[in-house]
Amino acid sequence: MSETTSPYREYARHIGLWIIAIALIFVAWELVLVVTGLPAYVIPSPAKAIGVIFDNIPLMQQLTWQTLGETFWGYVVGAILGVVLAVIMSQVPIIHRLLYPALVTSQAVPIVAIAAPLVIIFGFGLTPKLIIVAWIVFFPVVVNVLDGLGSVDQDQVNLARLLGGTRLRTFMIVRLPACIGPLFSGLKIGACYAVTGAVIGEWTASSHIGLGTYLLTANAQMNTAGVYGAMLLLTAIGIGSFLLVVIVEHFATPWRTRMTAPGYFGGNVPTSTSTQKV
Amino acid sequence: MSTEASVKLAIRNVTHNFGTFRALSDVSLDIRDGEFVCILGASGCGKSTLFNAVSGLLNVSAGQILLDGQSIAGKPGQVGYMLQKDLLLPWRTVLGNITLGASLTRGASKADREKAAELARHYGLGDFLRHYPRALSGGMRQRVALMRTIAAGRELMLLDEPFGALDSQTRIGMQQWLLDIWREMKRTVMFVTHDVDEAIFLADRVVVMLPKPGRIGWIVDIPIPRPRRMDCLTSPDFVEIKRQVMEMLYSQATLHGVPGGLKVPA
Ligand SMILES: Nc1ncnc2c1ncn2[C@@H]1O[C@H](COP(=O)(O)OP(=O)(O)O)[C@@H](O)[C@H]1O
Ligand SMILES: [Mg+2]
Repeated sequence: MSETTSPYREYARHIGLWIIAIALIFVAWELVLVVTGLPAYVIPSPAKAIGVIFDNIPLMQQLTWQTLGETFWGYVVGAILGVVLAVIMSQVPIIHRLLYPALVTSQAVPIVAIAAPLVIIFGFGLTPKLIIVAWIVFFPVVVNVLDGLGSVDQDQVNLARLLGGTRLRTFMIVRLPACIGPLFSGLKIGACYAVTGAVIGEWTASSHIGLGTYLLTANAQMNTAGVYGAMLLLTAIGIGSFLLVVIVEHFATPWRTRMTAPGYFGGNVPTSTSTQKV
Repeated sequence: MSTEASVKLAIRNVTHNFGTFRALSDVSLDIRDGEFVCILGASGCGKSTLFNAVSGLLNVSAGQILLDGQSIAGKPGQVGYMLQKDLLLPWRTVLGNITLGASLTRGASKADREKAAELARHYGLGDFLRHYPRALSGGMRQRVALMRTIAAGRELMLLDEPFGALDSQTRIGMQQWLLDIWREMKRTVMFVTHDVDEAIFLADRVVVMLPKPGRIGWIVDIPIPRPRRMDCLTSPDFVEIKRQVMEMLYSQATLHGVPGGLKVPA
């Protein structure tokens, strides 16, 4: 028995759709310019915005790398923190009840208002940006994983008890995998917002310039093409992060798309020692 | 009924109330070692509640439950129990689901996996070991769930309407398959069903349960010789037993008022 559809064809189709969607946005952008006749210093054309990037490749590379690093590490910290927090909260009800309102409050505080004190505390380096990104990312992860852990099928837990399962093993084998779906939902939401956190961090103060810092400077200098170029790169980071999570999800949860387990995922089966059929 | 030594499971005066509702009323039943007993009754008469009690999931209000003479009330993990739903874990392969018991207690060793694979191959699941449950038909899923129960290695197995959701052709095949396994494995089986044919075809004894409150009405011996083939479903003996059992179920329904099983409020 073979797989029904090749996953690679599926990817090709997805990527094709993404390219078409992005192309449509550029067409709409160009159309707005043609129809309204706005001058280039108000809104530059897509070609100009992209041109800025290609005219300054070394600089743009350096800026992107900086912002990407902040986004990535903040994201990793936020995601791990989110999962760990959700696991602890799900196991200790008193912590759950104490922490939940605090989590909601943390998200109600405007993120810009948090940025300034963080810089005062942690200085101009990477740390405040990392914290801001993690601050944004951990929330959808905690909420989703908690919901997932809370809605595990009670019959499945009973089955584990009937089989004599230990508490730890039941958690690892039955409860935790049940919230992988919600976990990835949280990770996808976080992936889109993470880059915003890095930009806000850079806007507040920065010793190393990134795309956010550049955007602010370009804006002050009425360099609209530069503003739009930076914006395009930031958007690309956001979309790229999202797609990366989708790809990781695909390979980490093969049971959602495949009929049989791949070799890297317990798909190796002991070979028959006797004859196949009796 | 039988000597104390050969009794595998003894249910003694078990009563259970959900709040003010009496789900089981003074149920007593001895199951012999190696016996196949079917529990037959309309839905709501406490069959699953009885199984939950025997499995230890449910702490009964009163009464004793003894496995090999030892009390197992409120102690899960002593008997094999296949619940009404197959409850296969979607993220585990067929083999992973069959070895679930070992994984949950001490981690599945290579030997566990080999043994489970051998078992599955022997009972016709060999081509599906790497498959995820979503790739399987309803009948196949039930087979895997039963293999998981068998692989857990308990001597007494409780099967709660395992074939309830299957179409009648698949169901007959599964019944034959289950009898084969039971004969070869020599386990003790309690099997819940609301299908009269199924109960008589499988069982050494059929326990007819009655509702409101859930209790044992009759215990019927099934002297039909084994191995039983499909044609025994239409043999005179079978039809006669079926007539008696239907009468028990039907008289009960009319007792409560409207013929056909409708009940007037108590
Ligand atoms: N947890 C519960 N709380 C209250 N009532 C219950 C509960 N479980 C079952 N019952 C009731 O007990 C009766 C017997 O249920 P059950 O054992 O599931 O019946 P069966 O398996 O024979 O269909 C039903 O009337 C049902 O509504
Ligand atoms: Mg039931």
